[in-house]
Amino acid sequence: MDNKCVVVGIGNPYLQDDRAGVVIVETLEQEGLPCRTEVVYTVGFEVMDKIRGYERAIIVDACMLGNEPGSILEVSIDDIFSTHALVNSHAITLGTTLKTGLLCFPDEMPADIRIILIEVKEIKEFTRQMSPEVEAAVKTVVDRIRALVAAVA
Amino acid sequence: MGIFEALKKKFGFGLEPSVPVLTARSSTMKKIEINPITRLEGHGKIAIFLDDDGNVDDAFFQTVEFRGFEKFLQGMPMEEVPRTVSTVCGVCRGVHFTAAMKASDGVFGVTPPPAGRKLRELFFNAHYVEDHSVILYALGLPDFVVGPESNPAERNVVGLINAVGADVGREVLRRRGLAVKIFELLGGKPNHPVAAIPGGWSKQLNEEERRQIEEWSKELVGLGELTLKVFADVVLKNDKYMELVTGDMYRVEVGYMGSVDAQDRITYYDGTQKVIDSQGAVIGTFQGKEYLDFISERVQPWTYLKFPYQKKIGDWKGMVEGPGTNIYCVGPLARMNVVKGMDTPLAQQHFEQFHATFGARPVHNILAYHWARAIELLNAAEKCLQLSRDPEITSKDTWNKPTTCTGEGVGIIEAPRGTLIHHYLTDGKGMVTDANLIVATTHNNAPINLAVKKAAKHFIKNGNVAQGMLNYVEMAFRPYDLCLACATHTLTNGQSPLAVDIFDSSGNVYKTLKNF
Repeated sequence: MDNKCVVVGIGNPYLQDDRAGVVIVETLEQEGLPCRTEVVYTVGFEVMDKIRGYERAIIVDACMLGNEPGSILEVSIDDIFSTHALVNSHAITLGTTLKTGLLCFPDEMPADIRIILIEVKEIKEFTRQMSPEVEAAVKTVVDRIRALVAAVA
Repeated sequence: MGIFEALKKKFGFGLEPSVPVLTARSSTMKKIEINPITRLEGHGKIAIFLDDDGNVDDAFFQTVEFRGFEKFLQGMPMEEVPRTVSTVCGVCRGVHFTAAMKASDGVFGVTPPPAGRKLRELFFNAHYVEDHSVILYALGLPDFVVGPESNPAERNVVGLINAVGADVGREVLRRRGLAVKIFELLGGKPNHPVAAIPGGWSKQLNEEERRQIEEWSKELVGLGELTLKVFADVVLKNDKYMELVTGDMYRVEVGYMGSVDAQDRITYYDGTQKVIDSQGAVIGTFQGKEYLDFISERVQPWTYLKFPYQKKIGDWKGMVEGPGTNIYCVGPLARMNVVKGMDTPLAQQHFEQFHATFGARPVHNILAYHWARAIELLNAAEKCLQLSRDPEITSKDTWNKPTTCTGEGVGIIEAPRGTLIHHYLTDGKGMVTDANLIVATTHNNAPINLAVKKAAKHFIKNGNVAQGMLNYVEMAFRPYDLCLACATHTLTNGQSPLAVDIFDSSGNVYKTLKNF
């Protein structure tokens, strides 16, 4: 596998709609997607570790931004690097992680980073069952990433 | 409008006659009832109540708890539990894994051979280095390096890197990455480990891997020393910051709990739990299931998160600090208070400096959590180096095969942010029938509330609520490194956002501050 592209799925595999990113990457892996894939359960520095050294990174995560459940957003690092999002108690944010990577490892970070988010409906309980809205969005995003990867293959 | 009506309007809760009321002390605040606001987003919410003069009468911190994870585990083979619980939290993945792994030893009535235990310890100490370095550099130090009153846009890890330089940031991240490499090499899988087996560890270490880990560990010791130097230069040599570190506004006088080894020194993977009261007197020690003889959990009507207390000191006495309180806290500061010393030479030097600085023990100054965390980072790195040089670490004898099922196991470890207890019951085939998890943030729930209240009382005077107050209040709970709904990391407008609602004596919202 070359270093052209990596697809990173973020999520908790046991937490309702939060598992969307994990399901997407696992689905693509089963299809034999012709690029590197990674699954991480956190948005910490691990994400930065996984994408360093690649030309392009596609990151897919769940989000809760007040949109209709199942909405799909493609955003930039700056979109999710909002000022106050950095202030939190425990974990660091995806935007912070990626900004930190660009600051400390500018030559190793991908020139092209795509961030795809799926708006959740339910993340209350531990279960493998996603909501119908997110289930549908997962299929759409799988198609989207497959096309993105094919374009650079 | 009264306080109850104000809260109802604000939060939309309904009166539940079965729920006992919480009575505030103010003459104008007869009753406060707050139902849990949300258990969805992982929001931390602080409600601060002002008296007639605009000073703080009371303050509460609310967060969320596990949502059905124990239920989710029921019916699962115990052997699968460590891998599954590693997903409870994307940050603390190694700690739940380790606690459940130890509990699985009990369920199957087997203990690992020395090499198996040492591999587990090496894995766990590497996790400590990784976790503590992230918490310090990304969450704790920005308050000091960038400044507590600085713009939130700069008071973060990115601002910290801008302040200290990208070269330093790069070096810290590179060395932290080496701890992750040890974690992954031993854990058998990137990010989330799979090497746990009841009675041992499935990953054996060859000589080449051992040498590699030894080299990496040397660099981790360097990371620990660098971190303590940064802390000394930025905090210890700054009189203004030391006023905060040693000041009463960040002092919470409670008891402490942590693990000690046979020599009464610090230990993370395994030991005896030692409990001291707020004056430093030893209340008792326990292992495994005996935790039930020491810890009770109080339910409060305004939050889902329970309030553990030491029942050896008596029944629930309320959220009070000082002599006689049975509230206790866990984590790096607690460990510094319960242990006689560190089990590695370099960390021991800093341990002695730590206590010489504060004088009396226990140390109740919660900003000292950050210093304690830095000392532990160095200690864990030294432990990695020691274990990598242990002749037994490459032994192939890493597993004692279970031959029975006892049906019950308790795993207690010192997670980076405090004591973590996993307790499982199983049927005769090792299928989980019941589970109980007590995490560090739950142990620390009452002290966190006290800390928030104390900081709020100090920084809010005569109704003057400056925007910067939010960060001073955050600085009161950040040392505890809360696990706010850490089971999910769904991207929100501000991960783990915090809202502070300030009410006047009539119960009207006086001001709301948010970090999202």
